Amino acid sequence: MQAVQLPQRSSAPMVFPRVGMLTSERWLIGVHIISALFALSFGILMGPFQTFRRAPAFVHAFPEWQIPVFSYYYQALTMHGVMNALFFTTFFIVGFSYFVTQRSLQRPINQTMGWIAFGLMFLGLGLILYAISTNQANVLYTFYSPMLAHATFYIGLVLLAVGSWVAGAAIFMTYLAWKKEHPGERVPLAVFAIIVNQIMWQICTIGVAIEILTLLLPASLGFLFVTDVQVGRALFWFFGHPLVYFWLIPAYVSWYTMLPTQAGGKLFSDSLGRVAFIMLLIFSLPVGVHHLYADPGVSAVSKGIHTVLTFVVAIPSFMTAFNVGASLEYAARKRGARGPLGWLFRQKWSDPVVVAQLGGMILFIMGGFSGLINASLTLNIALHNTAWIPAHFHMTLGGAVTLTYIGITYWLLPMLRGRALFSNKMALAQVWTWVVGMLIFGHGMGTAGIAGAPRRTDVGMSPYLNETATFWLNSSAIGGFVLLISSILLYANVVGTLAFSTKPYDYEPPIAHRGDPNSPLWLERWGLWIGITLFLILIAWAPVFVESLNFVDGFNAPFFNPARPSPITP
Amino acid sequence: MHIDELERYWLIAVSVTLGVFTAALLASVFIFGVRLPSPVGRIDPTDLANTEFAEPGLRDMGNGQYTAHIVAQMWNFMPREIRVPVGSEVLFNVTSRDISHGFFIEAHNANLMLLPGQIAQVRVKFDRPGEFHIICHEYCGPGHQNMFGVIIVEGPATAGLSE
Ligand code: HEM
Ligand SMILES: [Cu+2]
Ligand SMILES: [Cu+2]
Repeated sequence: MQAVQLPQRSSAPMVFPRVGMLTSERWLIGVHIISALFALSFGILMGPFQTFRRAPAFVHAFPEWQIPVFSYYYQALTMHGVMNALFFTTFFIVGFSYFVTQRSLQRPINQTMGWIAFGLMFLGLGLILYAISTNQANVLYTFYSPMLAHATFYIGLVLLAVGSWVAGAAIFMTYLAWKKEHPGERVPLAVFAIIVNQIMWQICTIGVAIEILTLLLPASLGFLFVTDVQVGRALFWFFGHPLVYFWLIPAYVSWYTMLPTQAGGKLFSDSLGRVAFIMLLIFSLPVGVHHLYADPGVSAVSKGIHTVLTFVVAIPSFMTAFNVGASLEYAARKRGARGPLGWLFRQKWSDPVVVAQLGGMILFIMGGFSGLINASLTLNIALHNTAWIPAHFHMTLGGAVTLTYIGITYWLLPMLRGRALFSNKMALAQVWTWVVGMLIFGHGMGTAGIAGAPRRTDVGMSPYLNETATFWLNSSAIGGFVLLISSILLYANVVGTLAFSTKPYDYEPPIAHRGDPNSPLWLERWGLWIGITLFLILIAWAPVFVESLNFVDGFNAPFFNPARPSPITP
Repeated sequence: MHIDELERYWLIAVSVTLGVFTAALLASVFIFGVRLPSPVGRIDPTDLANTEFAEPGLRDMGNGQYTAHIVAQMWNFMPREIRVPVGSEVLFNVTSRDISHGFFIEAHNANLMLLPGQIAQVRVKFDRPGEFHIICHEYCGPGHQNMFGVIIVEGPATAGLSE
């Protein structure tokens, strides 16, 4: 194991050991991955118990029974959403992006910025854990106004966002320095995608930053007493949809640039991968109104425009399906797969890193199709805010994204520790229980949703559930139980790898140092892509804000503490 | 840029399929008139007493047409129960007195967000007798899971009553 000190400020190119890690690299990336797993442990513990609380059969059999630690349902649900969707993801993405950028470009991320960014995000995590665990922030992960949480909740979110901006700046700087030294060269595809992701993130977080800094934080500090709920929701979803691609792109980085090697082949098309990422940048911002189809303050025309663009943003994912599928086919044929479909079965089923990603893809197929249904504005009327919606995003976020991150963890954590994964068998069992559990859970929730079961509701004792909804909610709790087992297997392996593994680590992470010279250079004209993105944002969002912003008749809704039906007054 | 032939077919197939989907959806809204929630009007949520929502309830407009004004608040709907004869068409005008709520009528394609400051509207035809719940599907605090209303559709007691 090498322990070379990384130069602090120098931008000189440097060589990373193939198998081991530099000390500074190990620390900076290690703290991000461990923080991500720490945040996930809170969220993932809540999930199965939420399914139990939502199963009438369970609640009637054990009426005294409570969710562990965070016993109030909406507190647990806030914990689940905030920790899983905001903190686990952001910490993991920043750490993984540093790793890929440094290694691909063979240049260090600025250490000072990296640690400042981490400090901000970690402080944010602490403040939010305080606010939620003391029951002062039972506002769910979307923190819609006019519900108000304690100021530490919003400050925590701001710190997370600012930290991620500093991280993004550090990544851009590394890229620009590389670019200067390699004029005319294509940046490796993985870094290309990470740059796309960071640009998208810096633009979309502006929406939620405005919402928090001008409305929610001032209100929580006692300076502001009225808001406009429709404007708040529009600002949130300006951010909220790109957020889902912020989670997905790092998973695509793994599918495009690592999985082909891990599966024993190579990527089918580098340039179409780039085109897909550029499309994700351009089209993930002007589609957020698809979360507002049922809102009274947004016109049908805006809803129509965002519907069309939502269907466009599905195209890069279909392109990914082809490209990654073709790469997997190539790998399998090299290994001797025959017939038109033989390659589907001839994958490396014994390697948890590969299997986790394939499992994620299986769930992503369900997620993609259910997503197209959600996007269909008139079908959405039957589904908005029903249990169908969490069923959908546990296939995408809880399935494809999380399983891919887990797959990455299965090689990155051992690398960080310098020891092999504690148990491959346990990891394989974890992946398959996750896939099966999510399918049972998702099928139950989805069907219950069609029957009218609402989401975000402690529905186990609700007086209005019909028989069909009751039956399928009960079945989704079986999925929740399988997922509980899967989660235990995951953390047993994490702790085992960190504390008890004795086998040496000898895996070389698949990192490319240059892009395919055949892919067109114009794809790296960022100014052009950002310009098009901003233009589409203007077309798609200006009407929404023009019709919802009204300083005369709007901004008249007082804030509330969700626990009490009386407004917060000066 | 090189694009593999099979991949080109795939891209064309995907684009055409999605294009047809999109066209069908837009047609459903803009040609066949499936109504989406759209801006109806603003209202001061702290002053509902001086608006059309002062006395929520059902009004018979004749010819099987009804207008219902409903106020959602933590944690109930006012009025809680509505009775209409089978075959009637009800125009719901709904708003919230405090925070956001949801308005979902079981088995009837009515699904609205109720935001304080905005009036939400939906027209629903009830052609089956039975009891249908109005469910608040937007988290609104500790009583959220018990927030519901009922629409009783009264009709000739035919066989196959839904409940
Ligand atoms: C252990 C497996 C998991 C189970 C059993 C589970 C279960 C659930 C359930 C039952 C809900 C809906 C609760 C309701 O609507 O009342 C939910 C919501 C949610 N879950 Fe999970 N989940 C799991 C893992 C994950 C993961 C890994 C993520 C993301 C990384 C995630 C993200 C979310 C989000 C964002 C929500 C929405 C919260 C909200 O509506 O406020 N879940 N989960
Ligand atoms: Cu979205
Ligand atoms: Cu509610």
